[in-house]
Parts: sequence; structure tokens; C-alpha cells
Amino acid sequence: MTQPALDPIKFEVVRNALTQAAEEMAIALRRSAYSTNVKTRQDFSCAFFDKNLRSVAQAFTQPVHLGSFVRHVPIAVKRYGPENLGPGDMILSNDPYGGGVHLNDISLIGPVYYGDELVGYTACLAHHVDVGGGAPASVGAFREVFQEGIIIPPIKFVNNGNLDQDLFRLVVSQIRSKRETSGDFRAQIASNKTGTLRITEIIDRYGLDEFNLYIDEIIEYTDRRTQAEVDRLPKGVYQAEGFVDNDGFSDDVVKLAVKITINDEGVRFDTSGSDQQRRAPVNSTFAQTFSACAYALRCLMDKDLPVNDGFYRYVHVDAPEGTVTNCVHPAPVVGGWETHVRLNDLIFEALSPALPDEVCAGTKSMQCHSGFGGENHQTGEYYCFLETLAGGYGARSTSDGPDAVQSHGQNTENAPIEETESNYPVQITRYELVPDSEGPGEYRGGLGLRRDYTFPEEATFTILADRDKAGPRGLFDGERGSKSVYALIQNGEEEHLSSKTTVQLKPGDVISYRTSGGGGYGSPKNRESEAVLSDVLQGKISVGRARERYGVAVDIQSQTVDKTETERLRSGT
Amino acid sequence: MTSTSHFPVGSETGDQRFRIGVDIGGTFTDGTLVDSVTGEVTTSKVLSTPSNPASGFISAVQKLLSVDSVDPAAIEHVVHATTVATNAIIEGKTAKTAFVTTEGFRDMLEIARQIRPSLYDLQFEKPAPLVPRQLCFEVPERLNAKGEVVTPLDESALAQLVEQIAESEIEAVAVCLLHSYRNPDHERRVGETIAAKLPKVIISLSSDVVPEFREYLRASTTVINSSVAPIVSTYLSSISDQLVAENVTSELLVMQSSGGVYPAKAASENPVFMVESGPAAGAVAAASLGSSLGYPNVISFDMGGTTAKASLIRNGQPNITKDYSVGGAAQSGTGAFGGASGYPIRTPVVDLVEIGAGGGSIAWVDSGGALRVGPHSAGADPGPVCYGLGGRQPTITDANLVLGRLDPDYFAGGEMKLDREAAYAAIRTHCAEPLGLSVEGAAHGIVEIANTAMVNALRLVSVQRGHDPRDFMLIGFGGAGPAHTVRLAEQAGIPKVLIPLGPGTASALGLLVTDVRMEGSATLIARADQVDLAKISSEFERLESLGREAHHQAASASGEPEFERAVEMRYWGQSFELSVPVPKRDSIDQHWMDELTESFHEAHETAYGFRANDEPVELVNLRLTTVGKIARPKMRKLANVDSDPSSSIKGFRQVYFASETGDRGMIDSTVYDRSLLPAGAVFTGPAIVEEPDCTTVIHPEWKVTVDQFGNLSIEH
Repeated sequence: MTQPALDPIKFEVVRNALTQAAEEMAIALRRSAYSTNVKTRQDFSCAFFDKNLRSVAQAFTQPVHLGSFVRHVPIAVKRYGPENLGPGDMILSNDPYGGGVHLNDISLIGPVYYGDELVGYTACLAHHVDVGGGAPASVGAFREVFQEGIIIPPIKFVNNGNLDQDLFRLVVSQIRSKRETSGDFRAQIASNKTGTLRITEIIDRYGLDEFNLYIDEIIEYTDRRTQAEVDRLPKGVYQAEGFVDNDGFSDDVVKLAVKITINDEGVRFDTSGSDQQRRAPVNSTFAQTFSACAYALRCLMDKDLPVNDGFYRYVHVDAPEGTVTNCVHPAPVVGGWETHVRLNDLIFEALSPALPDEVCAGTKSMQCHSGFGGENHQTGEYYCFLETLAGGYGARSTSDGPDAVQSHGQNTENAPIEETESNYPVQITRYELVPDSEGPGEYRGGLGLRRDYTFPEEATFTILADRDKAGPRGLFDGERGSKSVYALIQNGEEEHLSSKTTVQLKPGDVISYRTSGGGGYGSPKNRESEAVLSDVLQGKISVGRARERYGVAVDIQSQTVDKTETERLRSGT
Repeated sequence: MTSTSHFPVGSETGDQRFRIGVDIGGTFTDGTLVDSVTGEVTTSKVLSTPSNPASGFISAVQKLLSVDSVDPAAIEHVVHATTVATNAIIEGKTAKTAFVTTEGFRDMLEIARQIRPSLYDLQFEKPAPLVPRQLCFEVPERLNAKGEVVTPLDESALAQLVEQIAESEIEAVAVCLLHSYRNPDHERRVGETIAAKLPKVIISLSSDVVPEFREYLRASTTVINSSVAPIVSTYLSSISDQLVAENVTSELLVMQSSGGVYPAKAASENPVFMVESGPAAGAVAAASLGSSLGYPNVISFDMGGTTAKASLIRNGQPNITKDYSVGGAAQSGTGAFGGASGYPIRTPVVDLVEIGAGGGSIAWVDSGGALRVGPHSAGADPGPVCYGLGGRQPTITDANLVLGRLDPDYFAGGEMKLDREAAYAAIRTHCAEPLGLSVEGAAHGIVEIANTAMVNALRLVSVQRGHDPRDFMLIGFGGAGPAHTVRLAEQAGIPKVLIPLGPGTASALGLLVTDVRMEGSATLIARADQVDLAKISSEFERLESLGREAHHQAASASGEPEFERAVEMRYWGQSFELSVPVPKRDSIDQHWMDELTESFHEAHETAYGFRANDEPVELVNLRLTTVGKIARPKMRKLANVDSDPSSSIKGFRQVYFASETGDRGMIDSTVYDRSLLPAGAVFTGPAIVEEPDCTTVIHPEWKVTVDQFGNLSIEH
């Protein structure tokens, strides 16, 4: 058989059709899912892999899944054995030590057959609100992975199109939020089925030979464009060190280190020098660390660059085994994303001297989970709720960091208060910006936010977050954003809690989050005084802070800047 | 709540046989006048006047009246589609507005959905709230999810708040208190108190505008409503006054985003319902045309100079969505965070997918060696290379010219000469040489790649919503649409295409073939197996009485209104609702509910590929549309009938075509003059049909039949 010739027009057509197929998988999943975390907060991703398990097209709602999901899928399929998978079969897996991440992220993977021939795999990942383990929503500080929930090695969950009812009952029995989780599994199945249909239609149209040819070319095309982008990056070695504030059991900071080498061969990330793994929820699996590096690299490239195997092959990661950046069995992993996202801040900090106009100052850079559950007295059901809260974004060389927004790999929506209160026994009593939480700078960091939860019934509440020792760092004389505060308010008395803890609540108790502000960029003394005035008038920054941190005197009566006084303050006389 | 505008409501006397539609677009303002007795259509096209849109509006009307010497007293009504509300938002020129909410939630608009509009962009910006923080106010009060009072409204704090608002010199206020969709008492009290102190300020209550749960979406909708209301109301008053000056005293109606029209007074009070006024008109035109020809299921494809829009019509009605954002980046329809770059609204909008592919979209080769089309557009200035106005980068129009699909000497009816040589050279330099293709091959590639994006848009509105495009007829219009429509049908497997007469202004005709529609809704969250059926009845009855009241304020809607009831439902625990029409039964009893539940299961299976019979089903919102029927104008038949089209042949030329199996290259094609084509004429592709504002390309193996009204009916 002769190789068909490449046609640049067909290439673009097939490429768009594949991307469209992945997008349709994402839409099917989102719209038919049950849990607030998947349906509203969009904590999931979908992708198509070719028969050689190379990622080809993906629809990502969450960049954290960028590198991790594409590592997990090939490993899971190889472990199960592609020869053991027929048309309509799907395997389920969340094994952190089989290429996975934390247990909540469960992937469902199915082969796509065209006639008798294997042509690829559709896969989707969803963050399930509960996977069992020691606390509702399966977040909390534990010593071993076994305490974190059900561990699922690759198992055949769907057999020739039919859900394996025995396995389904076994899995769901381990889980608190049975109804929601069952619904989310059905949505994942619907997503893969949608993908399979679309891929089949594309092959119907172009034939299998051309389909395979264009998949190869899509990956090579991405490779060429990635190479062009890498060539543009400043060559050199860049380093930074930082830490996760505590590990949930001890108050010792968890040291992280990253060295980035950019040369003609590509970009190498080395995390040597990071702390040894802990018997505590701060361990990142290799997939999570890889994902942090892939995300950072992607941010430095053309917005329009496709992401598939042709891009991933440029991400080289050296993460020593047994460290918090590449933990080994049976370390707990639920807080691995905290380490992952902090690595992102470090990577951008390391690159800031070379790419001052492309990076941002320190951001929230924590997942900031809020998870709770218990028996719903009205329905008698065990309920679980999980969300993550935004914080201030880091400032950039020519613009302020936006207020109250998710950072880096995380882009999950907030849960609407009215929807939350309609479905769960909780009342949100405060949701607002935290004034004066920004990192001062010529461009300031974004403000953090406050969210208060009041519980009318007993509940178990887990905070799995960070930033309670120090706020995000500034760049080039920009200052740190405020640190986070996690508080329990009982009978009006406020008590500060650890950033990684589980507490039992009595009726009437309030849990209050005040998340960190973003780091500033450049010296606050260089900030335009009119910009400071605007922040003061909007109530985002107090008059006192404007004076002390920015050297700007605001006359609140006339709503103007007192120029003489400002000049005096800024000249330091 | 208050409006100082006065609009004429028309009179019932005299022989009112004419209707006028005016559609203001970015470049042109299109006017259409229909004689509803004979079906005769007159059109006018004038340049839009963005700084003062009313001026373009009135010129279009004057032109229509003068052409046919129509007596202004014989005008039944004037229907208008306008982007004045959208433009105010996009250009940041909304009225100074205050926002009032429950204590603790002042930053609802600032925080929005806490997400970034783009994933890998460290330099992103969140859209600035339409109300700055210093104009966001809190009032102590709180309801729970059942609508019960947890904290009573603090009257003295409210009084202080009103003083503060009074000092801030605002033009409008939006009020959105938590759970007001369950119980509007506190919102009403806040509204009354502000109105008593500030009678001239426009006040929008979220429980009036869109009484549905999810506070940020409701607040955003309410803020948009109040912040554009002063602008829209001034604009419509001015148009109305100018119409009166032309002795046109008939009722002024405005196109809504949902495809229905409503009186100018209602539009002034609730302008958020008209933000997508223009695009809706095109979908309505396609729906009406399809229905009148016996095709209730059609896909509408409208392509102009900068964008192309697709929407799906089932049973004669455009699909409607409430998942929509205004003022953001162009909607791809799939981008999960597309909405995060704009301001969400939760009012019904014709479900259309708009993509950045128009005649002016620029073709280029990227760093990986792929040929790309768009998203940049040459627009009207400098325009495509062939316009000779300074454009240097090749566009879709240039490609169509090189392929012989456009006639360089008959563009805009011959008013503008196109430079084919320049287009050829630009495609050679920018596309053909870098890719090692022939110039025709590259030009064909440009068109095919743009077509792929458009086919995706057709798929998004059909397949993604669970409908097979092959079950639909494709109607193509807009200045650039008919050059692409037949090929799109070929690619999407659609067997039948229709190109209306006068495709360039077909959209404006949509204004004259719709009904007065008023949307009402109420949140009623309850499981189907537990819901109080009497409550459903009483809520629908309450919505009907509100609808009837509004109906009687619209002069053009004669007689009693009709009501369309639907329930938005989901599986208990899901978050996205499907709208399900209610069963046609006399009373709301258990049978009614069983049928409704079954309809929901079916709708869910259609949309998502599965049904869960054992899962509880939940009702979320009741929706009621009050329809005041407006009689459709008659369609005019062609006088000339002949199955032989040879008398309308203008000539022959070489046109490039390709098929799935390979290139055909430049082949000899017949060129027809559309104005001479008789009813009943039959011919086959390859062919080109030309009319002054549009060119239709007929691909080989497609057969054209000219129907009795002059539409081109094209089948494979």
C-alpha cells in the first residue's frame, strides 16, 4: 500500500475535527454530571490518545491535568494490557503509584476500535467529591495513602458497553456521596462514548490510513512549533527555593527547590534539593510534578500552540525519588497539589530575571480546599461537599494582579451560594474581598477573599490549604501579599486553625477562610499615586496602608491625593 | 420600575397593510417594508451611523417610504433590531449604576466566578465589574434557601443606605438579595424605599428581571438590565419621536434576543432581553421561511464580513439558551471559560454559535507550517486585497475571487471592481509559496479551512445538542453565506439547501415574521415525586395573569394571547437543566407529571446519550411565554414561470471545484442572473447564481429548483 501524500488543507481539517471531538467529550461530561465539583466547578478533563498512547487532542478545563493525566493514561493501559481491552470496554484507575495523582482524580479510559482495528483511546478524568478515607470529601491530614480512600488499580469497569455492576457496587460502597458519585461515573461513561462516536465519524470520512497519517503529522507539527518556541527562550540556568508552610503534622516548613536549564536541547526542570517525602499530606507524585513543569512551559509559549505529545516531549523533569516532588509508596498524596502549585510559583520566580515581562509575582499558589460532610438531617443522606477558594493573583510588569481569582493549574469556579444552600445543610454568611491583603508594589498583587460557612447541624470540616506562615512573594522590590487565616468561630470567639486540619463542628459553629493576597511587582514607592487613590476610594486599601506602604497621602474628604505630603513621604524626609 | 418615556401605541383605524423592519448592523442599516396583503417586499440599505444610530434608522425609514410613496398612516408597526445595548457594554458606556445586595456579599460582582478567562495566560485580566466597588452597597437582611426570613430587613440601615445612594448621583440601581427568587418581599421593600427618595432613577429588581437561583448570574443579569436601561430608553424615545415627525404613529416594537418582539416601552424597562437583537432576527427569518415552505426543521447559516453564525430551528422555533455572556471574547460555543471574559446573562437568547469567519478573515501560514484562516479580519477597511483599498493579506473573499466564484466585474452589482491579479499575487506570496502549493490549490485550501470551522459551528448547534444535521435543511444567507452554503451541506452530510431571494437582507425580513413574546419564569425547586401539583398550577396561573397584562399593552398583538409552558428539569443533583414542554393535558395531575417526567428522560437521552430511570427527577424553573400572534405577510410569487432557465444565463466562466476524491480543477460553469430566473426553473451545478448583493455557488452534482417564490431549492 502506498503512503497517501500529506495535504495541508486536510491536515488542518482533521486537526480541528479531533479538537472538536475532545471538546464534545468535555461538554457531555459537564452537563450530565451530578457533583457541584464536576458540573459547576469544572474539575475534569478529556482527551484522545492514539493507538500508541500518545496524546493527540485534549479538552482541558483544569491545567493541573495537563501533564498528569497524559502520563497516567498510558501507564494504566499498559498495566492492564491493551490486548485485554475490546470494543466498548473501559478501565477505571486512580492509583497514585501507577502514574496517578491524588485518589479523588479518577480516570476512565476506553479503547476506540474501527471495525476490528484499535485506533486509539478516549479518556476522561474527574475529581470525585469523595473516594472514602478518613474524612468527608477525602481531604485531610493522614499518614499513609491507605487512609485517603479507595485505591483503584486499572480495572475493567465497563465491559462491552455495560457497566460491571459488581465492581460498581464495590467502588460505590467505599464512598460517602453515593448518589453524586454514581452520577459522575455515568457522566464519564457518556463522555467516552461521545468521543468514540466522533472519532469513528472522522475515520469514516478520511479512511484509516489517512487518519493515522494526519495524527502523526499533528504531533510532528506541534513538535516543530514547540521547537520554534523553545528556540526563542533565553538560554541559561535559573534557580529558586521556597517552601510549603507546614505539613499538617509538624510545623516544619517543607523545602522545595527547582533548577531550570534552558539550552538547545530543550527545557530541563530539576527538583533536587527538595525535602524528603513526609508521612503527611504534602507529597507530590511524579505526574503532579511533571504537570507543574508542563504548565509553566506552556505559559511561556504562543497562546495558540496545540498541546499533545509533540509538546510534552520537550518537558524534561528530574525529580529525585523519595522526595516530596516524586514520592514513593505508601506516602499520602492528597495534598500533592499544594506542592505542585507552589513549584509553579518557584519556577516563575526563578525565570523572572530572564523573563521579567512574561512572568507574574507570587500568587495564591495553593489549592485551598474546603471540604465538609455529615448526615443531612433533612434527607437522611450522608452528604459531602468540596470546593476550593480563590486568592490574590501576583502582579505583572505592567499590570496589577487581579483580585480573588484561581491561580496556575487551578481554574475551578466558585459554588453559587444559593445552589450550595439549596443542596447542603450550610449557610454561607460572608463572601467578600479582604481589604489591605494585597502585596504592595508598583503594580500591586490581587486581594484575597473571605468566605464564612455557618453550620446549623453537626458536621466534619477539613481545611487542606497553605500560606498560613507567609504570603506570596513579590518580585523586583514588590512586597509579599498577606498570609492566609483559617479560623473557627464558636460563640463569637475566634480561634485560628492550622492550614491542614479536620475539625468536628457543633451547630452554630462558623469556619472562616481569609485567603492570601498576591505578591507585588516593583517598589510600591513607584506606584502611580492616582492608582493608590483609586484603590482607597474603592475601599480595597485603607488610608493608613496607602500612607505607610506606598507613601501616598490620600485626603479622603476631597477624594484626592495630597501631593505635597506624598512627595514628602516618598522622598523619605 | 418607573419609566418616563411615552411611546405611541398605534391605532386600529385605517388600512394598515405595511410593516417596516429596521436592522442596524456594524456597516449597514437595512430597512425592509412589506405589504402584508400582496407580500411585496421593498428594501433599503444605508450606511450605519454609529455615533448616532437613530439617524441611520430614520434615513432607512425615509428611503422606504419615499420609494413606494407609502402613506405613513398605513404602517401597521415598525420593528427594530439594535445593538445599542450590547455596544454600551462593550464600549464601557453603561449608565452610572449602584448595586444593592445582602450584607456580607458586596463583592459578588468583583469576585464573579473566581476564574480566569484563559488558562495559560499569566497576563490575563478579569473583566471590570459594571458597577465599581464604591457603588456596591449592603443591606442587613437574610433569607434561607426556602425563602424564609433568617434576618429581617433592617429599615433604619436601609434608610441610611438610600441617603448614601442619593449622594452618589447615579442613574440606575440594581438590587439582588440572596434567595429573592423564592421570596421577593425584601427586594420589593428596598426598591420602594429607593423609588420614594429617587423617583427618576431606574430600578431593576432581580426578582423581577430573572427570578431564578444562582446569585451571581442573577445579579449580573440585573446589573446589565439597569445599567443599559437609561441608554436604551433614551434611544428608543428618540427614534419614536422621529417616527412621529415622519407621521409614523404606529407601534414601535423591538426584537428580543429570543426571537420574539416586545413593545418599546417594555424594552426600555427590560433591555437585557434585547442584547442579541440583531443575530436573533436572522434565525427568525430562517425559521419563518422554513416553516412557510413546509420545513419546520432547519439550520440557519448567516455569514457576513467578519463573522458567521449558525443556529438550529426545530418545529419552526429557534433553539433557545440561557447560558450566555455578553461583552466577552468571541464565543466559540465550546470554550469552557468563554463566559469568564464577559458578563453572563440568564435571559433567553437564540442559541447561536458565532465564529470569526467572514469574507474578510485573513489567511496565513503559522510557524509550524500550517495554513490558518482567521481570527484576524481585514474588515471593511482596508478590506480584502482585491478591494484595492490597501489590504495586503489574503482573505476568504480574495480566495473566492481567485477560484472564479466571484465575478470581479459584478461585485455589489458592478459598483465595485475587484482586482483579481492582486488577490492572486497575495495568495501566492503568503500561502501558496510557503506551502509549495499552486495558487488555486492554496485558495481552495483557504476556503476549505474556513468551511471546516463553519461546519464545526453547524455541528455545535446540531450534534452537540443531540440532533443529526442530516435531518435538517440548511438555509444560507448574509452577504457571504451563499458562496459557501452548498459546500457546507456537502461536508456536513445535509441533503437539502435553501437560498432565499435577497440573501443580503434576509435577516431584516426576520423582524416582520415573528410574534410578540413575553418571557416569564419562576423558580420552583422540588423533586417530581414530592412536588405540590397545586403549586405548579397556581404558579403557572400567576405567570399567565402577568403575561396577559403585558400582552394587552402591545397593540400589535391582537386578540387573546397564547401561552407556551415549559419546565426546566434535571436529575436530582445535576446542575444543568433541560427545558421540557409540558404535556398537553387539561389539568396538572399525576398523569401530567408522569408524562412530563418521561419527556425529560427522553430529552436527556437525546442530549447526553443516557437516561437514568431510577433516579429522582427534579423541577427547577417554570417558564411561561406569552405569545401575541401577528399575522404573517403573504409571500409573493414570481410572475414568470418556466422550467427552462436558459434565458437567464449571463455567460460561462472557469470556476475551481474539488471533491472528496480529489481536485476537479477549473471547470466550465454556467452563470445565471438571479433576477431573471423563472419559477420552476431547474438546472445543475457547476453553476454560479449572481444577484447584486450576493453570489451563490452551486457545486457539481447538486440540482437547483427555483420555487414559486424565487427561493433556490438545492438538492444533492
